[in-house]
Order: sequence, then C-alpha cells, then structure tokens
Amino acid sequence: MPIDFSRLGEDKLFLVLSTAEMLKRNNTQIIHTLTGKGYRVVVITTNQPSAVLKKNYINENIDLSKVTFIDAITKYALGKIPPGQEDCRFINSPSNLTDLGIAITEVLHNYGGEKTCLLFDSVSTMLIYIPSTNISKFIHFITSKLRLVDAAGIFLAVEKGLDPLLLTQLTTYVDGTIDMDIPSAGSPGVPVQ
Amino acid sequence: MNKTGGKNMDPVRQIWILVILGIVCIGLEVGVHFFLHTAIGYTHIFYILLILAAVWYYKKALWVAFALVAATFITSLVVGDFNWATLLRAVMFLLVTYIVAWISEERDRGRLEILAQKEAIEKEHYALVGYLSEITLRIKQPIKILRDNILAIRMEFDGKIPDIEMVKMELSTQLAHAEQILQNFQELNKEMVDEHSEIPNAYKEFLTR
Repeated sequence: MPIDFSRLGEDKLFLVLSTAEMLKRNNTQIIHTLTGKGYRVVVITTNQPSAVLKKNYINENIDLSKVTFIDAITKYALGKIPPGQEDCRFINSPSNLTDLGIAITEVLHNYGGEKTCLLFDSVSTMLIYIPSTNISKFIHFITSKLRLVDAAGIFLAVEKGLDPLLLTQLTTYVDGTIDMDIPSAGSPGVPVQ
Repeated sequence: MNKTGGKNMDPVRQIWILVILGIVCIGLEVGVHFFLHTAIGYTHIFYILLILAAVWYYKKALWVAFALVAATFITSLVVGDFNWATLLRAVMFLLVTYIVAWISEERDRGRLEILAQKEAIEKEHYALVGYLSEITLRIKQPIKILRDNILAIRMEFDGKIPDIEMVKMELSTQLAHAEQILQNFQELNKEMVDEHSEIPNAYKEFLTR
C-alpha cells in the first residue's frame, strides 16, 4: 500500500515512526512511494546491509536506478564489501559520523539537479552505536544540510523507542511526524503533526 | 552579612530592628545614666541589640559594641562615675558580641557546607539517573529491534529456501548489533562499579569482565 506523503511538496522533512516489527516492510513501502513520485532516494542504512535492502527492493519491483545507498553497517558487520556493491558508498561504522556526514554531503551534491529524498534507516538503530545527544546533533546537521539543498528527508524510527527528550528534539528539526501504524482512510500512515 | 539562604529575615527589617534597638539603648544611656545618675540594670537591654547584630552580621556587630562602649564611657565621664565596673561592662559588651558572632559564623558556615554537599550529591544522583536512562534507551530498544530482525530472518525460511548468502549477511549484521549492545552494557556496569565504592572487589571484577 502507498504511504501518504501528500504533503511532501510543501513540507520537506518527516520523522516517520513505525513499530519495530514493521520497520523493514515500511522502509520498502516508503521507497516504493518515493520512487513512484519520481524522487531519487538516497538510503542511509544502519540497520540492514544494502545488499539485503536491494534484494527486498527488487522483490517489490522498485526501480533500483533511482536508489542510492550509503551503507554504514555492511563493512562494520561483515568486515568486507560483498561483490556487486560497487555503486554503494560504504562507511566503516555507524558511529563514524564524520565520514557519514561527508558521504551525505557528497551524494546530495552529486544529485543536486534531481528531485532528491534522503531516507535515514534508522534513528533507533543508531542508538546502539552512539549516544542520543550525538544523534540529535547529527540529525540536526543532516536536516540543515537538506534544507540548504532543498531536498526532502525521511527519518525512520521505532515508535516508543525514543526517549521523550530525543523525540521532542527530532520533532523540532522536521516539518512533520508520521505514525505509520495509525490507520486512516485510504492510507496506512497519516501526518500527525 | 548572614548568607544562610531562604530562612533569613528580610535584611531591611533586620536593619530597622537594629536601628530601633540602637535608639532605645542610646535613649536609656542618656535618660537613665545621664539624668538619673544610675548605671545599673538598663545595660542588660544592650545585649539584645548586640546579640541580634552578632547573629545577623557576625563580627561587623563589634562596631555596634564599640559604639555602645563609647556612649557608656562618655556618659560615665560626664556623670563622673567612671570606675572598674564601667570597664568591666565595656569588656563584656565586646566579649559577648565577639563570642556570639563567632558561633553564628561557624554555625552558618557549617550549614552552607552541608547545603553544598547535598547539592553535589543531588547533582551526581541526577547525572547517574540521566546516564541510566540513556543506557536503558541504548539497550532496551536495540534488543527489541534485534529480536524483530532475527524474527524477520526466521520468517524468511517459511515455505521457501531463502538465499543463504543473504541470511548469513543479515545474521552477521545482527551479531554486530548484539556485540555493540553488549559493549554498551559493559560500559553501564563499569559506570555502576565506579559510582558505588561499596561493591566488593570480586563483584566489581565480575561486572566489568
């Protein structure tokens, strides 16, 4: 089912909350919706290796030519880059925010002329690797960067997985929060803020 | 001035009380000693002024004592009854003021030290609570994510044979997550051990192993 990103034209940045069980599926659904709307999607993954995500996307008939990966987990988890992943950008570890920031800046610069949307999967997984204060600062950095280049951004997080302070901070950085598990007429996700 | 915090009387009111008592004392000195030619009894009233001044303003109250001593000396010299009793009274004014001022100062210093210690303990406590919340956030939810990811991998086996390479890759990722969660947990244990010196060494070693 398509996700309701009807406000994506006016609002650019969204915090998308999902249950942990649905995180993987919701990721695929979001990509499906965004590529369908003609967006170039830059996926920053800290939860699943890009190879696994690619396979999921292929199974869902998603046009992979419109998806770019910044993979911060494969090298850390596997210690090497699997073959056939030359088109992805790999970061040593999810805690290496400097390299991650550089990669995001470069990728956004490369796709400057296109309608670009960044998908961050996920804020909750980042909590395993870095303190919440650093996550907050880093998300603020990314949102500022996205606003500067007029690109859209979606930050996936597990609902109830963020403490109230971090959630409040993240909410102030984005234009809206979407709870994907609140059903509404015609769509599985609705803007709640 | 007395700086023991919120429980003090308003300083303006303190000044007014001391000024009124000062006027009363000088009035007694002039009225009773100068006009009635007696130096007995009324000087006890002076101690109210001196003690209050010493409690509120510590050793600065010695200036009030000196002023009363001067007033007593002047009236005694004018009246002509200056003797050893006048000197003794003057010494008592100064001595009582000094002792009360010293005790008050020490008492309030002690109170301030206790307050500072209490504040430091509360600060440490809040820091620890904040740290525990952060670690809970970085352990509880990640374990749930880990569980759901493993469940998703398990579900890949339902009704079909999944791509083994992909499954290996997914499991390696979950293993990396688990190792990091374990590391976070060890950090928590270390912080707890550092915080609580009463934990026996054997347990400290076990917790940080």
